[in-house]
Amino acid sequence: MSRHYSAALPIAHVVLRILIVLNWLGGAAILVLLAAMIVAEEWTLTALGIDSSDPIRPVLMGLRAIAVLGLVAVPLNDLVLRRLRAIVETVHAGDPFVAANADRLQAIAWSLLALQLLSMAIGAIGEAISRPADPLHLDAGFSISGWLAVLLTFILARIFAEGARMRDDLQGTV
Amino acid sequence: MAIAVKLDDLLHERRMTLTELADRVGITLANLSILKTGKARAVRFSTLEAICAALSCQPGDLLEYLPDIAEEAQAA
Repeated sequence: MSRHYSAALPIAHVVLRILIVLNWLGGAAILVLLAAMIVAEEWTLTALGIDSSDPIRPVLMGLRAIAVLGLVAVPLNDLVLRRLRAIVETVHAGDPFVAANADRLQAIAWSLLALQLLSMAIGAIGEAISRPADPLHLDAGFSISGWLAVLLTFILARIFAEGARMRDDLQGTV
Repeated sequence: MAIAVKLDDLLHERRMTLTELADRVGITLANLSILKTGKARAVRFSTLEAICAALSCQPGDLLEYLPDIAEEAQAA
């Protein structure tokens, strides 16, 4: 069991570092796409495989809105990943039941909630601009597992806060 | 904290050092020091029992409730 832990922690740390970089790279890609949708509208739509001979204004506005929401998600993802990395570091240091981790989990929970709302907004925009000729398949929208993760993280934050308080009491016990 | 630990007085009366007490009761010097300086938040019954046995005293000889400090803490 302890061998699993010893291997899992460094792996988690490395994976989280990679995800932090990938998140910002994804953000940069969205920014480039958004700029292209403003500077070269028709070229971008053709590149995305959307028929630009039809009225494209609503589609373009929708795609721009999705890109902007995607950009908003980047710092939220970063907050989640960095806080998670900090928690992993405290586990590695052997003292995860600290008040700071409860605060970190609380921040992660709020970020996940915001990300779920963003995902629903992106899904709704995608539905609105999807046309039979150009169906838009976005991996966004309402997700039961996503909302369950939000709920679980809020509960975990509370458990950590309680655990940190108990740990604090225990440390002052002689 | 309105509970005062009178370990220093008891050690003085028994002519015993904190290190000697630590050796007798099997509690680290650091923990006994926390208790002596009143920084402990709680005392285990087993600790209390060991100290009382080593110093031949009652728990009441070791701890004292200070109502004045309790009132000041409540007012603040």
